[in-house]
Amino acid sequence: MSSYSELIKNFERIRAYMREFYVYGFKSREDYSAKSARSYDDERRRMESWLGEHMGFSRTPEGKNVFISIDSRTIRHNPLYNAWKAKSFTDGDITLHFILFDILHEPSVKCTLAQILERIDGEYLSGFDDPMMPDESTVRKKLKEYTEAGLILAEKVGRNVLYSRAEDTDVHDLGEVLHYYSEVAPCGVIGSFILDKEEADTDAFTFKHHYITDAIDSGVLASVFAAMREKRIISVSNLNRRRDTPRRTRIVPLRVLISVQSGRQHLLAYVPEFNHFVSYRIDYLSDVKAEETTPRFDELRDALCEMQSKMWGVGIGRKGTEVLEHVEFTVRVEDGEDHIVRRLEREKRVGKVEKIDEHTYRFAADVYDASEMIPWIRSFICRIEKMNFSNRTLENHFKADLYAMYRMYGVTEEVGE
Amino acid sequence: MIFSELYSAYYNTVAAILCRVLLGDCSEKELQGIVAERAFGESVLTILPSLKSGKWQLLRPDMTTPIVHKPTVPLSTLQKRWLKAISLDPRIRLFGVEMPELSDVEPLFTPSDYYVYDKYGDGDPFEDEEYIRQFRVVLEAIRRGTQIKFEMTTRKGNTMFVRCRPLRLEYSEKDDKFRVITAGWRAASTVNLARMKGCVHYTGEKMPAVTERAEKYDTLTLRVIDERNALERVMLHFAHFEKQAERIDKKTYILKIRYAQDDEPEMVIRILSFGPLVEVIGSEDLRNLVIEKLKKQKSCELK
Repeated sequence: MSSYSELIKNFERIRAYMREFYVYGFKSREDYSAKSARSYDDERRRMESWLGEHMGFSRTPEGKNVFISIDSRTIRHNPLYNAWKAKSFTDGDITLHFILFDILHEPSVKCTLAQILERIDGEYLSGFDDPMMPDESTVRKKLKEYTEAGLILAEKVGRNVLYSRAEDTDVHDLGEVLHYYSEVAPCGVIGSFILDKEEADTDAFTFKHHYITDAIDSGVLASVFAAMREKRIISVSNLNRRRDTPRRTRIVPLRVLISVQSGRQHLLAYVPEFNHFVSYRIDYLSDVKAEETTPRFDELRDALCEMQSKMWGVGIGRKGTEVLEHVEFTVRVEDGEDHIVRRLEREKRVGKVEKIDEHTYRFAADVYDASEMIPWIRSFICRIEKMNFSNRTLENHFKADLYAMYRMYGVTEEVGE
Repeated sequence: MIFSELYSAYYNTVAAILCRVLLGDCSEKELQGIVAERAFGESVLTILPSLKSGKWQLLRPDMTTPIVHKPTVPLSTLQKRWLKAISLDPRIRLFGVEMPELSDVEPLFTPSDYYVYDKYGDGDPFEDEEYIRQFRVVLEAIRRGTQIKFEMTTRKGNTMFVRCRPLRLEYSEKDDKFRVITAGWRAASTVNLARMKGCVHYTGEKMPAVTERAEKYDTLTLRVIDERNALERVMLHFAHFEKQAERIDKKTYILKIRYAQDDEPEMVIRILSFGPLVEVIGSEDLRNLVIEKLKKQKSCELK
């Protein structure tokens, strides 16, 4: 029977649990199948260990619920990054790691594998009762791994390979830069890794409207970015919410679309098999594998740029030649409500705002998917005077929803449907 | 790529322990303190016992180490690529830093690889020289715990002269703006950085010890009907708040959210955006604000 450890080998399973606990947090242990009850207990315990005070518990008739509750305005650093810092390793891994970098303590020190092995044996492990002397292939493998990670340089001199430490990068003056960008830039967890090495932390910044959930998707995002930089096709598993099992797809990743109002991230991609564009939820993607480069990358990205002028959110024209949906509505602006006009201007995205008269403004846009605009239009409830959607079904739906809200809040008496 | 023990809390903690041991003469309690501070809740059960037992052969039984130099690791290619990526962001100029060592590094991403599609269009002028200068004055005052003075125009058009102590900069990704959280100023405690004028260090009379004005919080309760994927949308949308959810039946959920009182108008708008799938059931005041909006809407006679 394997014993419990707060470290993990595979991130994918904990990714799913963290999302459940952080985003939802109302499932009890009984909601997980009997087979996975042990796994549930272990994952819950790990998260308690990593997140401490941010974990909450409640008792309901269905049982004990565990949730992660964080007001991201009050924290300096994203606590979900801790999950990325919990990778398991072997006793040999950690011992060898510190010894190797002690031997190669500055870039001018260059050693062959044989010299490294001799020093490990003679200078580092001989003082232990039962020295765990690693064999040659283990050390060679570790050096190769570190060379690939860019930590160690391997230089061929004659028949020998000389290993040395890579030049260091001075990050001492970057404390505030790292603090800020580790929270707001994509893949910010990487900045957090650098911050962990620094002794002086800064608390100069806090963040409002700060979605921290994307932290757990950083692995997928980094792989997608790396593929885009090399203009590569990727194969990826996509878990649709209407399907139980992920489907493997080959796509050309073109751009990541980030929402700072809904907490979602999408990947806009081209699917060669069907010759169309699709947007994928990043949190539904896993197991990204880079494949061959594609000469069509620039052409496809240009086509996407063109389409983005007709996208409100992530709703994309599959071919780029679809009929656009026209959306138009007017709002009433009373004296002293200039902030409403400013709202329209700053939130209009691909739309246009036009002043009709002293108290009326019109917003209009032509987009692939008008339904994406509905939540935003609803935020003007209390001043919408007219609307005109080319998609009549959608317009009727909007109005029906409005009447449903009147009924829900008891303001229905004088309203006819 | 990202998930590697190289970046793990355990490796960092062991590095800190070895650093301390190299300085000489340390107690086990002190080392336990390093574990508690740098690693996870249950790491005390693993890290020191593994070092002391020789499982990890880095600490001898007499608490000395065969390691000779302070443990350090150079930045990995991934870390350099990320640094290079942020060096391409326009906001980096605020900090006045250069990264010449990264000139040959390929960025992990560039501004053309991602797009934030719903941030507001009137964000701060991050490349404006005066804005950058003021940002640096504020940041330095935060660092040093000193005061600043500046002018600003009130909503009524009057000029106001302010002296205060900036405590921190709060950045909103949605607004794409920095706000300065201050203390020692009666009229307000938060001001948009872009609204400040002529901000300089204040070197006159020292302000007595000041504390940040405590934010007042309220809790709102929502009933969420899980149709049209509303539950997921609501939970994600409000994910950045302290919140708690409970399932009432197969389709109905109750969500409690703790929010700052100052954000009440914004909360009303955000709730309205979900239409009839989300109903405010508490507080009474917030529910009344929603009702007020709906009554006004009804008077618009939208056909």
